[in-house]
Amino acid sequence: MESNNSLLAELKKVTQELASHKIELYQTRSYLQCILQNATDLIFATDAEDAVVSFSKGGEKVLGYSWEEIMGRPIKDFAEDRVSFGYLIATCQEEGSAVGLDVRFRHKDGKTVFCNISLLNLTNREGQRVGAVGICQDITQWKQLQEDLIRVDRLAEIGRIAAGVAHEINNPLAVINEVSGWTGEVVRDAKGLGPDDRQELEKAVAQIGGQTKRCRTITHKLLDFARDSAPVKSQFDIDELLKETISFLKPEVKYTSIKIDVNSAERPLLVNSDRRLLEQVFVNFITNAIHAVQERGEDTGHIQITAVKTNSDIEIRFQDDGVGIPADMQTKIFDLFFTTKPPGKGTGLGLPICKNIVKNLGGDITLESQVGVGTTFTVRIPIA
Amino acid sequence: MNQEPNIRVLLVDDEENLLEYLSKRLLKLGFTVKVTFSGEEAITAATEQHYDVAVVDLKMPGIDGVETQKRLREVQPYIQCIVLTGHGSIESALESGQEDAFQYLLKPVDYDNLLTNIEEAYKKRVELQREDFSKQLETIQRAGLGAHGMRKAIKELREIYGIE
Repeated sequence: MESNNSLLAELKKVTQELASHKIELYQTRSYLQCILQNATDLIFATDAEDAVVSFSKGGEKVLGYSWEEIMGRPIKDFAEDRVSFGYLIATCQEEGSAVGLDVRFRHKDGKTVFCNISLLNLTNREGQRVGAVGICQDITQWKQLQEDLIRVDRLAEIGRIAAGVAHEINNPLAVINEVSGWTGEVVRDAKGLGPDDRQELEKAVAQIGGQTKRCRTITHKLLDFARDSAPVKSQFDIDELLKETISFLKPEVKYTSIKIDVNSAERPLLVNSDRRLLEQVFVNFITNAIHAVQERGEDTGHIQITAVKTNSDIEIRFQDDGVGIPADMQTKIFDLFFTTKPPGKGTGLGLPICKNIVKNLGGDITLESQVGVGTTFTVRIPIA
Repeated sequence: MNQEPNIRVLLVDDEENLLEYLSKRLLKLGFTVKVTFSGEEAITAATEQHYDVAVVDLKMPGIDGVETQKRLREVQPYIQCIVLTGHGSIESALESGQEDAFQYLLKPVDYDNLLTNIEEAYKKRVELQREDFSKQLETIQRAGLGAHGMRKAIKELREIYGIE
């Protein structure tokens, strides 16, 4: 009886302990679950054969695969370079843990995902390896930022060099300009020239002058681009500036039936910004819109300009029903010297300059375009 | 084109070929032209003879266009300077802290535009000069000098203002 009682007490005690362990286990599990569900990192566990047995929600986002798609597959299948990922796993097996920097995974949509990864062996009570746990931090964005910075740096350098070259070229251009002017005068005064010869020479001289002007446009635009002066801010009405710009561009559409409308949500739309720089941007977008409409080959078209106020910005949309920009070109149009216009027509400087200006004013430019339907550029600038 | 009797133009640029042709064209139109290839040379020329308008390149070895312009005005207070710049825009030229020139023009310069500017600069010079000249002439007349003294004073004035 005595022993029975003590046995019962023992049993009770064990049951209680078990219950508390159960609670602890439950709590630990939900804690883990919570981490796996909410961590933005890719966290996975594999069995001894390196097949995935657990995969975090964050991992689904990082790689684009759902949990079901990944379960049971070897983790190295998702690495871009399986061989070196294999080495990483081998190191982990031998040494108990491994760290890999800038490891490349392949996202479901084919893009490269850069991760910093740390691998840790999972062992059972006997110390045998039963799998591994990996924690991968997605550093793709950071990488991209780094690359962007390098690109911006390089672009600034190109800009500086180009400006230097443009400046130097202006001098010989000035000489050519004067020589051609002088030649023209000599031809005009020359006696003993047959009418045909005179006409030929006059035409040729005019060509030299015209082509010099063309070079001048390029060098001046380049210098404008490289010029990095602080914007001069003042308060003015965007609506008024838009209307002024259009009346300035009227001659361009004089003999066509291209319609340009301005639709401002309210008037005046006051903004504290650089008027002269913004005018340059507006001229560029409206001229581009006119060209896009003309390129379609018909002589009618509609350019709709809308200015609206959002919380702290003003958005100006330039919408045209022109030829549109193919998807593969949409990223290139802001590149320096990229142009689709025939030689002599485009410099490939307009949009990069606009982008630079708007960036300096604290805003940005977005575009939507569909071939055959038209293009909408949206310029967003802060009100103050 | 050039109706005014004789505009005296001082050209300053280290680009010799440019000045060779520019001066030919200006001479043909009846301007009096002096060609100099550096700021220093221009200032020496200005101490020897009067000019109405100077066309000065901004970037030159030795003293640059800004300094040349300043010193030219010290020698001849009424000279008007047109500064040619290879910079991308007039604003950038102005930003680099330049003295007030009559005009800034971008290189390569549009010839007709240059002519218009030279003529306008000349007009401004004449206007300024006449104003001051007549004021000082009045002072001399009021000073009650004798005929000889007055003639001498006026001669001095003429020299200062470069009126021959």
